Amino acid sequence: MSRQAIKVENLVKNFGEGDALVEVLNGASFCVDKGELVALVAPSGAGKTTLLMMIGCVEDPTSGKIWLGDEKVYDDKWLTNETRKIRREKIGFIFQAHYLIPFLNIIENITLVPQANGVSEKESEKTAMELLEYFEIADKAHAMPSELSGGQNQRAAIARALANKPQIILADEPTAALDSKRSVDVVKMLKKIALEQDVAVIMVTHDEAMLPLCDRILKIEDKKVVSSKISGKNVIF
Amino acid sequence: MINLAQKEIAHTFGKFIVTAIGVGMLLGIVFVMMGVYRGMIIDAQVLLDDLDVDLWVVQENTLGPFAEASRVHEDLKDTIHVIEGIAKSEGITFQNLQLPSKEGPVRVFAVGFDPYGDINPINPKRLVEGRGISKSHYEMVVTDKTGFHLNETLRLGRDDYKVVGITHGTVSSGGDPLVYISLKDAQELQFLYSNARIRNDRARGITGVNSHMVNAVVATIKAGYDVDKTAEDIRRFKHKSVYTKEEEKVILTQNLIKRASKQIGMFTVILVVVSTIIIALIIYTMTLEKMKEIAIMKLIGIPNSMIIKMIVQETVLLGVLAFIAGNIFAHLIYTKFPKRVVLETPDAFALFVVVIIASILASIVGVKKVISADPAQAIGG
Repeated sequence: MSRQAIKVENLVKNFGEGDALVEVLNGASFCVDKGELVALVAPSGAGKTTLLMMIGCVEDPTSGKIWLGDEKVYDDKWLTNETRKIRREKIGFIFQAHYLIPFLNIIENITLVPQANGVSEKESEKTAMELLEYFEIADKAHAMPSELSGGQNQRAAIARALANKPQIILADEPTAALDSKRSVDVVKMLKKIALEQDVAVIMVTHDEAMLPLCDRILKIEDKKVVSSKISGKNVIF
Repeated sequence: MINLAQKEIAHTFGKFIVTAIGVGMLLGIVFVMMGVYRGMIIDAQVLLDDLDVDLWVVQENTLGPFAEASRVHEDLKDTIHVIEGIAKSEGITFQNLQLPSKEGPVRVFAVGFDPYGDINPINPKRLVEGRGISKSHYEMVVTDKTGFHLNETLRLGRDDYKVVGITHGTVSSGGDPLVYISLKDAQELQFLYSNARIRNDRARGITGVNSHMVNAVVATIKAGYDVDKTAEDIRRFKHKSVYTKEEEKVILTQNLIKRASKQIGMFTVILVVVSTIIIALIIYTMTLEKMKEIAIMKLIGIPNSMIIKMIVQETVLLGVLAFIAGNIFAHLIYTKFPKRVVLETPDAFALFVVVIIASILASIVGVKKVISADPAQAIGG
């Protein structure tokens, strides 16, 4: 059985057209395996978030191919009309801010996606409680996001990303709003999740201190994606 | 399954309720307007129903006595009475008067009738104090809305009148309070001129002004006789215009108050349209406020159906709460109106249906916004 979680081939992304054409990616290709925590780094405006959103079936590429697991989802066009279903079933998202739904309490935020996937209320709540216990915020299950600290909300957001048992986690600067200790905790947590749950994690980061905790670095250079191993001097931007 | 609408409303409960009350007050006004219309229809028929006569004989080629001026001789009642099939007939007068009161003149609609005659316009069920008129002169029965009290004396024309009875709920087709006086008093007030006018008329060669006139002769039909045929006989042989009770009702409700009811109908339609627009704007604003959350939900894969369900449920609930608030508001204020306002259940039901349809239409703007929301907005990219 293949270990491949994400495969991107010859991905092109342009914004605008004619004189206003801006090339963001031109022939980006890479793979990420299950159980891998990969850092995606590049200068601001180089297209990290855009690449993440294309893998997450949110942003339309200009051309190229994308596989999620063994399923080819993009081949110069989306191969399904239900990209949202793919997101709901295969992908977990973590953002710089927690982006929890403010009118739902923590457990409702976590059970929302599984219930949309048809999981029963009881079953989804059981899973959510397990996740909250794992993240040590079980006592906050019925609290509103506004009642939690930034770190607690971020852990709740990670729990939400895991609630649908995804194959892929796309994390867009998940530590940007946290102090260095909390940042290390979150990345270690992502690494642990990647290993324990056999999930591929792509994490956009600007924080060099987080790189040693990752398995690999994907760097956007000259509109392409270059993969490199973690070394002692990972100078990023 | 999580009910997103329920959770969102609970989160912004106070704001949602205040919004519903605001829209409800607007709907309450719509309901009261419908009640004003119903009130006009009922007012227009009070006198007809209290008199409960079969025929109205009026001046030829007129729509009298309410829609057009009509004068016929008082003795026409005797001529009508001998026609085959007629059971009772009486002369009757109608006129607008301004009664003096401490708070200023009170405009009333006076009905003059023969207190010894066979037809009495005072419905005993509406007489709440005192008695009916029992003398030929200087007695008056007033409706409670005039503010006059039993045994109060009122100066009218050259004479003093004593209030001998109080009625409730008696109004003219125009909504003015009704008062009842004797036919002789009414004829003096309406047809008898002042001495100066009589002298002036004599100088002009006008003599012998007949004050024994009435505005209409009303009649009832004996059992077994056909109303329409009797009416046709009077038209043909007495050269008068004759209307049955139903025809007079049509004249009152369709001719006399047609414009007023159209006006109210237009106001009601405009208010319903305005309410729909306001609900739509509120839903649009509420949706705009949630765009970030909607984008996040779309990004994490929540299907449109769940988000649209939230918008539609919120809109319909807003409409239902506004309808309830409007109903309460209308019931609190409708008695304060000077003219009759009748709040009827079928009207409330019709308004409810309109509100639900308006809410669903209003939710379309929110739904369109949801469908067009870009999930990438959630992360600002």
